[in-house]
Amino acid sequence: MMDCNGCEFRPELYYDDQYQIWVRREEDGSLTLGMTDISQTIAGKILHVRVRRPGTERLVGKPVATIESGKWAGPVPNVFDCVIEEANTSVLEDPNLLNIEPYEAWIARVRPLEGVDAALGVLVTGDAARVGYCERTQREDIHCERGAR
Amino acid sequence: MTAVTDKPVWRVIDTGVRRAAENIALNRALLEARQQGLAPCTLRFLAFEPSALLGFHQSAAQELNLDWCATQGVAIQRRITGGGAIYMDPDQMGWEIYADRDAVGSAQMEHIARRICEAAAGALRTLGVAAAYRPRNDIEVDGRKISGTGGAFDGDALMYQGTLLLRFDVERMLRVLNVPADKLADKALASARERVTSLEQLLGRLPQREHIQQALTRALAEAFGVEFHPGGLTDDEQRLYAQALQEIDHPDWVDLIHHPADERPTLEASRRFQGGTLRVRIAWDAQQRRIRQIWFSGDIFISPRRALIDLESVLRDTLGDRVEQQVLGFFADRNVDMLSLRPEDIVQLLHEAMDVQA
Repeated sequence: MMDCNGCEFRPELYYDDQYQIWVRREEDGSLTLGMTDISQTIAGKILHVRVRRPGTERLVGKPVATIESGKWAGPVPNVFDCVIEEANTSVLEDPNLLNIEPYEAWIARVRPLEGVDAALGVLVTGDAARVGYCERTQREDIHCERGAR
Repeated sequence: MTAVTDKPVWRVIDTGVRRAAENIALNRALLEARQQGLAPCTLRFLAFEPSALLGFHQSAAQELNLDWCATQGVAIQRRITGGGAIYMDPDQMGWEIYADRDAVGSAQMEHIARRICEAAAGALRTLGVAAAYRPRNDIEVDGRKISGTGGAFDGDALMYQGTLLLRFDVERMLRVLNVPADKLADKALASARERVTSLEQLLGRLPQREHIQQALTRALAEAFGVEFHPGGLTDDEQRLYAQALQEIDHPDWVDLIHHPADERPTLEASRRFQGGTLRVRIAWDAQQRRIRQIWFSGDIFISPRRALIDLESVLRDTLGDRVEQQVLGFFADRNVDMLSLRPEDIVQLLHEAMDVQA
């Protein structure tokens, strides 16, 4: 097994090419997205999460959500055009969940404008994603740490 | 341009005194340009016309005295960086670094903040003040804050900014910010003066702006192993700036996040101990059950005196149910003399204040 510096990787999910976000395909044609273990580690303890209102159209480069940790603020990146359907209210109320269980604490559910296949087409998954994911942790010397309750 | 060394060249730029909306739009434009590879790594110096600046996720109704700002012509703006609300005017110097995670030698936010703040503190020491980095985001002199900092990121690009207090008008600051203190009482002024200082106050005079800028430029060049060359905005940055200004110089941007003032109540408790009275006020996030800011006051004996102010800094953003652990951990790491007062007493006082909300 490849060493990812203690960063958890889930082969069934889809990722952007920098492994900042994960995306999960849902049966109803929507996509669920969240932050990877790498992203939550880099960010440190997350204090605020804001998700754009449901119904808002977000094009590539316009973030679906923003986070804040230790006075750093920034976007959760968006790599395909979509409409926001739902925000995870548990995460909005307790943003620290992103540090505790990044793959359970989803941020938003979105509907891709060009369809699910086109959206997933710009993402990576499976073994190929695992290689890239682990390479990033090693290249940037990222060692994952989870938050505590 | 011929480079005389092998060091990477970063740009240094001074955009002068500007309206808050322009300064924030420049933040956005320069960060986007860096993220898209359209501009070099940059150190920018800036200054503000009188403005109250919210942290990115803050609500004006909760943080600011809006009526007073309106009558005094203090502009209200939202930063793209995190952290708390601040008051800015030409008596404060802003400095900002635009770079990539690679260029600052770490992916992790906390490490990046530390590296930049330590360099900036070093620059202030060359000006003759005993400045030091206080985690997570302050630069202080003998426990008093002289520079607050915060950052924004976009993919691999980041912007880290700090303010440097040249002069400090404590009354004006208290009037702008919704700090839970009897604002104009002498005690509140004295308590603010115990926590904040300025270059002029420490040195008895104000060094020339260019001199301060040179000190910061040198220290940051050394910290990151680079050389700074003066430059201006690129065409791409001008274009991105015009776009950003349209969005940011607009009430919708300022009102992007709105929470009613009563979701951030001020909790209070006080107790008499053998060595005097200790009083606490907490700006409380009722939704997340978290301390946003905290102030201790009273005539309790504690040595060193700054220990309470350092404790305030440690308790910021702490969840209510983690308070005990934080306080006990703080005292376990330090040598603090409080006579018969025990860390557990402070925990109890804090719980008393927070129980009102339970």
